[in-house]
Amino acid sequence: MRAGVCEGSEVTRVSRRQALKSLAAAGIAAAAQGLARADSQPLGPGGIPLARPDRPVALPLNAAPIPSGLPPERGGTFKLFNYPDYISKAMVEEFGRQHDVSMELSIFSNMDEAVTRMASRLVRPDVTNISHERLAQAVAGKLIRPLNLDYIPNLKTHIWQSLQSPFYDVGSRYTIPYVVYATGIGWRSDKISEDIARMDNPWSIFWRSQRYKGYVGILDDDRQALSLAMLYRGFYDINTEDPAVIERALVDLSALIPICNPKVNTTQASTLPTGESWLHEADSGDILGSYFTERPAGYDGSSLRFWAAPKGKGPVNSDCWAILAATEKPVLAHLWLNYLLEPRFAYRNFLDIGYQPPQVSLTVDSLLEKKVIPENLRTTIFTDETFGIGSIHFSTLTSRGNALWQKTYARFMAGT
Amino acid sequence: MYPKWLWRVLALPGIAWLIALFLVPFYAVIGVALGGVDPIFQNPVPAWNPLQWKFSSLLDTLEGFLPGHEYWRIFLRTTEYVAVAVSVCLLIGYPVAYYVSRHARRSKPWLIALLVLPFWISYLMRMLAWTNLFAPAGLVNELLELAHVTRNPPDWLNGNPVSVILALVYGYIPYLILPLLAALDRIDQSLLDAARDLGASPLQTFLRVTLPLSKTGVLGAVVVIGLPMFGDYYTPNVVSGSPQTSMIGNLIDIFFHGGPQPSIGASLTLILTMFLAALTAYYLFTVNRAHRESAP
Repeated sequence: MRAGVCEGSEVTRVSRRQALKSLAAAGIAAAAQGLARADSQPLGPGGIPLARPDRPVALPLNAAPIPSGLPPERGGTFKLFNYPDYISKAMVEEFGRQHDVSMELSIFSNMDEAVTRMASRLVRPDVTNISHERLAQAVAGKLIRPLNLDYIPNLKTHIWQSLQSPFYDVGSRYTIPYVVYATGIGWRSDKISEDIARMDNPWSIFWRSQRYKGYVGILDDDRQALSLAMLYRGFYDINTEDPAVIERALVDLSALIPICNPKVNTTQASTLPTGESWLHEADSGDILGSYFTERPAGYDGSSLRFWAAPKGKGPVNSDCWAILAATEKPVLAHLWLNYLLEPRFAYRNFLDIGYQPPQVSLTVDSLLEKKVIPENLRTTIFTDETFGIGSIHFSTLTSRGNALWQKTYARFMAGT
Repeated sequence: MYPKWLWRVLALPGIAWLIALFLVPFYAVIGVALGGVDPIFQNPVPAWNPLQWKFSSLLDTLEGFLPGHEYWRIFLRTTEYVAVAVSVCLLIGYPVAYYVSRHARRSKPWLIALLVLPFWISYLMRMLAWTNLFAPAGLVNELLELAHVTRNPPDWLNGNPVSVILALVYGYIPYLILPLLAALDRIDQSLLDAARDLGASPLQTFLRVTLPLSKTGVLGAVVVIGLPMFGDYYTPNVVSGSPQTSMIGNLIDIFFHGGPQPSIGASLTLILTMFLAALTAYYLFTVNRAHRESAP
């Protein structure tokens, strides 16, 4: 689930001296080694290099992980911080019962809000959902603490190989993967006559959608909206900070206004099944979520479709969970992370929210066989091979790049 | 006799409210607009000390409002929408307020209760109700087709400026009628009788007595609805969702909602406030002049 944007430090191309000074201020001495290896890489918050699939980053340890073998804390309240409707409430309650704690779920609407509230101590959760593009920020700002993977055996046992040590957090020092998804195109085949998946350039459907005016939508997110236009042009570096490329994307995106006057929102999970929209840029999890929970009475979902670009030609992403540095229940927090990776939990959670967990046992064939998903939605399920080197992700940008994307998006939204 | 200071003390709660809920937050907006950003978290770091204010972001944003620049078109669009919506509100609201004030007689309390009725439902819910009414297969289009008005009813919710303006009118009109009603009620009946006794027709009485005397009420009501309309972002979001109908409030929302440039959001807020302050100043000037002229 992408919402909000990623961050970088105020400095775009900080000098080595500036970066080391910043690291020293943050007290992250270990990062200096990583930085030394990454002279040529652009730097993000706290001087941490920007992670890319072909340039993985081992995040510097900002504290020592807890020792192994400690008993879990009992009693009191265990606090989660998450997007709304992005976790199975039944499974949350079950964890509370298992460990004799009451569970409290606080929500945020986007990652900016989440980071702001945690950084300003407006919320004090024990664990939080976090996008990988915000990890450097959270580590440099000492918001989250390193993990002791001894408490999280499910990571090695049940999770895809590529996400056991992902490029954004080599060695899973701070995070465990929660769900995976691709950003692609969702549509209603009973309303859209084109077979989008078979088009030479499926992204171009938005620029050919005059007939569907009023029923076309794009995602209300600077990165996802502008990158749609880049992908349409066959430009796959969706983390670019080149002003000319971003400007070109703005021109192409703005061209959609006279063509189909797209609605810019994130309501596709509900509007596609109800027929209020027919063609929408969407995450794969939205489409499955809409099939599982948003179908109106009388609609079987057989005309819902999703197309994701092949590896390297369209964005894929994963959301994570991490433990807050200030938690008073660090052992229980580790157990929570392990619980999230249990196949039973992951499967139940998948049915509730529609977003796919990167579980080895959960395959498209098994889901089709059990009739959990229909054949027309097989494209919403991904495999380990989809991720790793060669895939493209919305990743951390420098602050200047981030500002450029946001200002350009604001110009699109202003209808200029 | 009560001591003179007593009346000033009565104003204290209001002043405290104003300081706590307006002046302090407004100063915070100034601090954000003229402050910095945390280098790691990108949160705004307000500059509380005026000596530390940096005006670069505010000036850059201000430049964006020049003709042809990035905010010019959305500013113009917002002004157009608000001007049209306020005018429509006046065209509908003034006769309603006039009728209730002058001619309702015994039904007046009931009519006032009906005018207050929309306040029972939140603005958000009322706007959401519109999306159902004006959906492509919604009630309004069904009625248009049933009445053979058109075979191809308009797509009201597809970035249609008319829908945004109508929704603004619908959402804000009660806020116009009630102060206007109060202003019309305050007009001394004997002045109207005097005009009639001196041979003025009903229309002349209205044009020469009622309308001029209700001018400050009209301006007050326009201020009451115009100011929030300028900052509205939810209405275009709900009834349109298209960049083609975005208002300046939508831009403020984008910059405040996240990202590394909260100072732009705060700068936009300040610039909008300055613009609205100029309009409000005209209202205050008019009210003061009216007071001076009516003083014995």
